[in-house]
Amino acid sequence: MSSFRLDAGGLVNRSDALSFSFDGKSFTGFSGDTLASALLANDQMLVGRSFKYHRPRGVVTAGSAEPNALVTVGAGARAEPNARATMVELHSGLSAVSQNRFPSLKHDFGAVNGLLSPFLGAGFYYKTFMWPKPFWEKVYEPLIRRAAGLGKVTLAADPDRYEKSWAHCDLLVVGGGPAGLMAALAAARAGARVILADEGFRFGGSMLSETVTIGGLPAQDFVRQTIEELATLANVTLMPRTTVFGWYDDMVFGAVERVQKHVSQPSADLPMERLWRIVARRAILSSGAEERPLVFGGNDRPGVMTANAARTYLNRYGVAVGSRVAVFTNGGSGYRTASDLVARGIEVTAIVDARQTAQDTVPDGVRVIRNGSIISTKGRHRLSGIITARSGFEEVISCDALAMSGGWSPIVHLMCQRGAKPVWSDEAQGFMAPDVGAGFVAAGSAAGVERLSDCLRDGAAKGAASAAALGFAPYDVNTPDVEGEYDPSFAPLWYVPGARDKAFVDFQNDVAVSDLGLSQREGFSHIEHTKRYTTAGMATDQGKLGNVATIGIVAGMRGVSPAEIGTTTFRPFYTPVSFGALAGAERAEHLRPVRTSPLHGWAKKNGASFVESGLWYRSAWFVRAGETGWRESVDREVRAVREAVGICDVSTLGKIEIFGSGAAEFLNRIYSNSFLKLPVGKARYGLMLREDGMVSDDGTTSRLSDSHYVMTTTTAYAGEVLAHMEFAAQTFWPDLDVRFVSTSDQWAQMSIAGPKARVVLSRIVEDDISAQALPLLGARTVTLKGGLQARLFRISFSGELAFELAVPAGYGESVADALMDAGRDAGITAYGVEALNVLRIEKGFVTHSELDGRTTADDVGLGRMMAMQKPDFIGKRLSTRFGLTAADRLQLVGLKPVEIDKEFKAGAHLLKENATPSMANDQGFVSSVCHSPTLGHCIGLAMLKSGRERLGERIHVWDGLRGTDVVAEVCSPVFVDPDATRLHL
Amino acid sequence: MALNLVHRHVLDDHISGFETGKNPNHLSVARRPVIFSVLALQGRDGDVGAALSSVAGFSVRCSGPGEWLIVSDTIGPEAAAGALAAIDGATFADQSDGKVLMALYGPSARKILAKCVAVDLHRDVFAKGYSASMLCCQVASNVMRTMDDQFEIILPRSYAGFVFETMMEMGREYALTAGFASP
Repeated sequence: MSSFRLDAGGLVNRSDALSFSFDGKSFTGFSGDTLASALLANDQMLVGRSFKYHRPRGVVTAGSAEPNALVTVGAGARAEPNARATMVELHSGLSAVSQNRFPSLKHDFGAVNGLLSPFLGAGFYYKTFMWPKPFWEKVYEPLIRRAAGLGKVTLAADPDRYEKSWAHCDLLVVGGGPAGLMAALAAARAGARVILADEGFRFGGSMLSETVTIGGLPAQDFVRQTIEELATLANVTLMPRTTVFGWYDDMVFGAVERVQKHVSQPSADLPMERLWRIVARRAILSSGAEERPLVFGGNDRPGVMTANAARTYLNRYGVAVGSRVAVFTNGGSGYRTASDLVARGIEVTAIVDARQTAQDTVPDGVRVIRNGSIISTKGRHRLSGIITARSGFEEVISCDALAMSGGWSPIVHLMCQRGAKPVWSDEAQGFMAPDVGAGFVAAGSAAGVERLSDCLRDGAAKGAASAAALGFAPYDVNTPDVEGEYDPSFAPLWYVPGARDKAFVDFQNDVAVSDLGLSQREGFSHIEHTKRYTTAGMATDQGKLGNVATIGIVAGMRGVSPAEIGTTTFRPFYTPVSFGALAGAERAEHLRPVRTSPLHGWAKKNGASFVESGLWYRSAWFVRAGETGWRESVDREVRAVREAVGICDVSTLGKIEIFGSGAAEFLNRIYSNSFLKLPVGKARYGLMLREDGMVSDDGTTSRLSDSHYVMTTTTAYAGEVLAHMEFAAQTFWPDLDVRFVSTSDQWAQMSIAGPKARVVLSRIVEDDISAQALPLLGARTVTLKGGLQARLFRISFSGELAFELAVPAGYGESVADALMDAGRDAGITAYGVEALNVLRIEKGFVTHSELDGRTTADDVGLGRMMAMQKPDFIGKRLSTRFGLTAADRLQLVGLKPVEIDKEFKAGAHLLKENATPSMANDQGFVSSVCHSPTLGHCIGLAMLKSGRERLGERIHVWDGLRGTDVVAEVCSPVFVDPDATRLHL
Repeated sequence: MALNLVHRHVLDDHISGFETGKNPNHLSVARRPVIFSVLALQGRDGDVGAALSSVAGFSVRCSGPGEWLIVSDTIGPEAAAGALAAIDGATFADQSDGKVLMALYGPSARKILAKCVAVDLHRDVFAKGYSASMLCCQVASNVMRTMDDQFEIILPRSYAGFVFETMMEMGREYALTAGFASP
């Protein structure tokens, strides 16, 4: 295939060749490759440009910490920027392009930034682009953003599906490497429900890259055998391609599964990604350890990568990262990589060991430079050589790849996401997982265990212990022997002195050692400040590769231990999670639940335009042929109610059934007005207060029998009122025998209002509904013609003769149709919530526009509903506070424009004549406004200081937002039928 | 004027002509189930609970302390109301029109439902006969395991369209079909 793909070896399927493209050029890889391994196999070492300086960059790792090999995968609406080539599973037809370069990856104009790098150090833009001030937003920032950056997000709508799901288990094992596999096996054999999640597409972790034997089997065969056993166990759920990205309260873990990211033709029936909420009784973090890069001059040259990455590409993917490879190390990992390379016939030009002495096995024929260092590298788009220095002697060594090893850092992020900080270990020269309790422990390399055999043992022991702690019978897992393992211990080396070129500590953000020095000199010495000032540890990789080295170098600069420097804060997500996965299926019209009334279908066929009211879709108005605007429809509907009859869907009002011998007393305490003596068969308007004396909600309550009431609430507050009642019953008055249940969905309820309402209604009701049989505020069960039982209430929110008819929801549409038929000759008209609003404003009835949480009963003219003679009711005590009874409180009034053709809007403020708009001069505000078709002009309800004393006064309705100022007369809030004669027809 | 009132199911528009046959994973919607909310009056929880479980033809679901939903496909609403009225200490409200009853069954029923509810549905935890109130597709519902691979969900009528569409979407992976249950 290519000079870098070895003839044999690896876990790729050589019989399944896959074609793909990078920057428009076609390549071929194998099933089992990542995009990175396939690119390396095709001698494509240059994969990106750096963030700030546009320096050529190549692959550094073989896993999820990759800082450099960020590419855009896919095109159009499916384009995914900043995908890590090391994690992208190769599939046929995959197309990827490099980022942050123009016009091409090889020839990037932005590389000029590199020449300017002496001027572009940390924080340069804070100091440089200060004047003139407006230039920052208009010139400097746009230019900087264009010059720097990563991939570009597409604004096209995502065509794919996403889902969320819950999973539950006794033990969650995060990471399917040596410790994770053994932990899962031990716990599963004991009988625990186990979930094993791994971010890779193949379980095994580091064992997939090993040449050792485990239990007499090659490591890869041992992995396969173990997975096969786990897959047969009903109590085990294997979740490959699943990154556990967050640890949350109550042992809930967030994970994202890449369901179809690796397929050429996604199925429409499967999600592209699935977000998991995993609830675990216990969890084990077996996420392994990350090999640290060494920080030396020119360490970002394409071809410089971690020794572990070089070994992974060699052993797992059958790819040589170079034909002449040098090694720079401070521990055993470099030697092991060199041995594996030599074993596969790759020339190793030298091992540069920073240590004076070492016990590691040197491959035959390989030169070792002890106590050596690298001060610079050569090459443009690919490494061509390194410059070593030892005791003042410099030497150029030719090579086309460099495997570096700076020691290991346990991957402890998840355990630090809820406030605990990693703990520095002098012995291990790394930050260890904190103790967060027995529920969540680290195992294997994540716990600082170094050798493979010890990791297997540690995983098995912790898996068994977790199961035992949950009450499962102990199961002894025989840990298999490992043959051929090496000693991965290392000596600390944070920074290689003598750098001739920039020595990068954070590749993704172009942060060099010199930037860290600058931050210390300029006072940004706390590691959190250092991060913000230099950007070390930011962006998509969040410093997975460079953070520990940053801390080590800063510690060195300040002459203290890394323990004193500490770490920055760990937060979810461990790796980036797409917005699609986070949203799941909750997008567009499924963003939140939708509630529809039993009369929704009836409203639709009668031409309703709907409005969202909370979760409900309510009929706003009903358009008729020839009507050109909503006002025309609403005016017609209002006139129909005032002159004939209208029908309105009020099913969305909350309905609460109240039972029990203590129900009457309960209502008497929950409402401010009296309810103790409400007769059976009668309804009463009720006002509910909060403890602080403010009005919380209103509605009617009807007594259906001695111990059975039905309450209606406003649509918006139905849930809150029921919760309030439950709270009061359970905590204030547990001695009262009272129970509640919501029946809001059981009844389709319609208001039939207007002077002809009784005539029309009587055509479908068997019972006598005359004024004598059903007087105002009557409430009773009736039978409809045909036999259906219904509830009928004589209540009105329009000021007209009105009834509310409640029928079982399934019959709602049919009954509404029957009413329309019955009232056709009377001119029955469907009306919506807009007309309802006009009707109630004309009558001065209040809604939550007035009951906004700041008004008392007296403020809105309902002071008579405060039955202060009652021993107690919620809100009674605090409603007598001075502030709530002051004479200059805002009070409900009506407003009508002096010039009849003028209009004002809700929200406008009220000012005395010649007063300038200010808080001090503010006299109140307009709460509700409409055009009254009955009166032929604009009217409004307003809250005005001492309003009831000011009827007849002229006042300015000032609307600064809309730039209007209308003179209005203060009047009674009841504009129509002030004597309520229509109500009593 | 004689009225010929027709009863409509809230999911009529969602289901009519939706599927021709049933797949192994199926969402079966009961057309006219009898559902009542039952509440025990003060201090009568135990008595009422015991009495409810002794009524033949009632399937009893726990919906809170001293609260149950009873479901029946063999007893009519009047008879059910009569049986409930005979239980000392119980009070009740007919919810047959206010609730929608759906049965989700099939080999992948649990996996589909796991996309909708946060509760552990493993048979060792949520065994056959267990019921509980929980959010299903963000909506307050009651879920009962009626068989190893069958769950019944009772939810408010006004949300039924939304929940039905969401569950069908969650079931696409498993070729979920839907239809009204046979009478």
